[in-house]
Amino acid sequence: MSYLRIIRAELRKLTSTKMPWAFLAVLVVVAATTATAVVWGTDMDGSKTFISTADDQQSLMAFAANAVVIAGLFGAVAVAREYSYHTVIPTFLAIPRRHRAVLAQYVAVAIGGAAVGLVGAGLTVIAIALTLPTTAFGFLVSANGVVQVLAASAFAGAAGAVLGAGIGAVVRNTGGAVTGAVLVLVIAPPLIIQLASGATSWVPNTLANVLSGVGHDVSTPTALVAIATWAAVPAAAGLVTVIRRDVA
Amino acid sequence: MSAAEVGTTSPGHAGPGPPGESPLVLAVDHLTKRYGSNTVVDDLSFRVEPGRVTGFLGPNGSGKSTTMKMLLGLAAAESGTATIGGQRYRDLADPARTVGAALESNAFHPGRTGRNHLRILADAVGFSTTRVDETIELVGLAHAADRNAGAYSLGMKQRLGLAAALLGDPPVLVLDEPGNGLDPQGVRTLRDQLRASAASGNTVLVSSHLLAEVEHLADDVVVINEGRLVASGALEDMQHAAALVRTPDVDQLVSALSDSGATTEHHERETVVVRGLSLEEVGERAFRAGVVIHELSAQAGSLEELFLGWTSTETPTQGGPPEPEPSRP
Repeated sequence: MSYLRIIRAELRKLTSTKMPWAFLAVLVVVAATTATAVVWGTDMDGSKTFISTADDQQSLMAFAANAVVIAGLFGAVAVAREYSYHTVIPTFLAIPRRHRAVLAQYVAVAIGGAAVGLVGAGLTVIAIALTLPTTAFGFLVSANGVVQVLAASAFAGAAGAVLGAGIGAVVRNTGGAVTGAVLVLVIAPPLIIQLASGATSWVPNTLANVLSGVGHDVSTPTALVAIATWAAVPAAAGLVTVIRRDVA
Repeated sequence: MSAAEVGTTSPGHAGPGPPGESPLVLAVDHLTKRYGSNTVVDDLSFRVEPGRVTGFLGPNGSGKSTTMKMLLGLAAAESGTATIGGQRYRDLADPARTVGAALESNAFHPGRTGRNHLRILADAVGFSTTRVDETIELVGLAHAADRNAGAYSLGMKQRLGLAAALLGDPPVLVLDEPGNGLDPQGVRTLRDQLRASAASGNTVLVSSHLLAEVEHLADDVVVINEGRLVASGALEDMQHAAALVRTPDVDQLVSALSDSGATTEHHERETVVVRGLSLEEVGERAFRAGVVIHELSAQAGSLEELFLGWTSTETPTQGGPPEPEPSRP
């Protein structure tokens, strides 16, 4: 049996419901919000300093941090719903060696998460490019800067989706998995920073900004490894859980 | 163990199969499963033979679905084995082409079409889209294949589950309550398909609460209660396994049979139904005890009567507490 076929089946699962459209709608809302900020937003002093330089504009279009969270929810829902709807039963009947099915699911979800990140970043870049002419500033970010933003968002989206998928595999309940992903990606990082200020450099938001070229807390390779580790730990926990537990 | 269990186990259908047995034999051997302190399957052993439809019966919560899940590698056993042709499900070379299973009538994403549900399974194991279309036709779901499964009736969901099971044209079918929600035409079609499958030499294991339907469908039955085997064997033999005895000395007859392993039910004033002994054995024991017998004949019982007798904890049994017959390997 070709492993690519299993991945293709998992990709068909992701694309054969309305879930991608729901996430696309979220990405459009985020891009529209950014566009609104460009047109009507100001700094505290009423100026538009926040879009006055290439670095400022790249910070505004750095979607990777959002990509981790949104793709995290995507991965959590994609996997947990398999258990909620019992569709995991025909999956495990077709592929009884569960680790193969779970790893294929992680690959498919990573591809989906990368797409979420890429599309989200792309829409944000387009929104900024379209709305900057309404201001006194032009589009200042270099092509390399845009590419870095897109690549960072794709990677962060893939990592976030795998992280969410791992949580979904452990929790096996859609509501619980979404809650878990929000806890890990949104609520826990500030609490961790409160407890240990040195951890600031290692939370997903900071690491994603490093990948986008708008943060310099750690090196880019270090950020890649660290954000991959954030994904790998829950993914491994999910894999072990699925292999060990009975299928309800 | 209740007295109702006695004498109903068909020994020829229990115990593990020998190494190298038919690849289509399902063998459950001393299988036990616990959830916490609750034993849901308790030292269960039976065999399901190819070429026959086997009904898997038991009250709600008796352990049927758990047993099927262990057979299909979805749940781990505490002890014992459940194999298909001597192999665990996960060790089969090509499980999707060997075993077709339908366990949950709701194992679909409600926002996914029936056709896409099947395409996903076909993708995973390398079946063609043509085969998907053929299977949809086979189960009579062509008119609704492109509608979301969430809009399906229970009967349509059952058809979709059956389509998933039949996708690989497997020689072994394991179906959990496949007739639930089907209209009479659907029940008839299902019965015909399963009978035809068994007639072609395939193995068919079907759990069901529809006893009348099982009576029409099954060649063999396996009955469990509280996780334990209470009966297995050829349905026709079981239905004729009881002896009807008419005697003016009911108490004396019951006493004479009390140590035989038989169960006795006092139906009418002078009539006793005896299970677990042949007509000859009943006659000989009555003769030795000096019991006058006015009639001794085989009694045909409905599956429902038998089922209730096997699974009821309070049966009208009047005989002593006999021991169950051992299963024949």
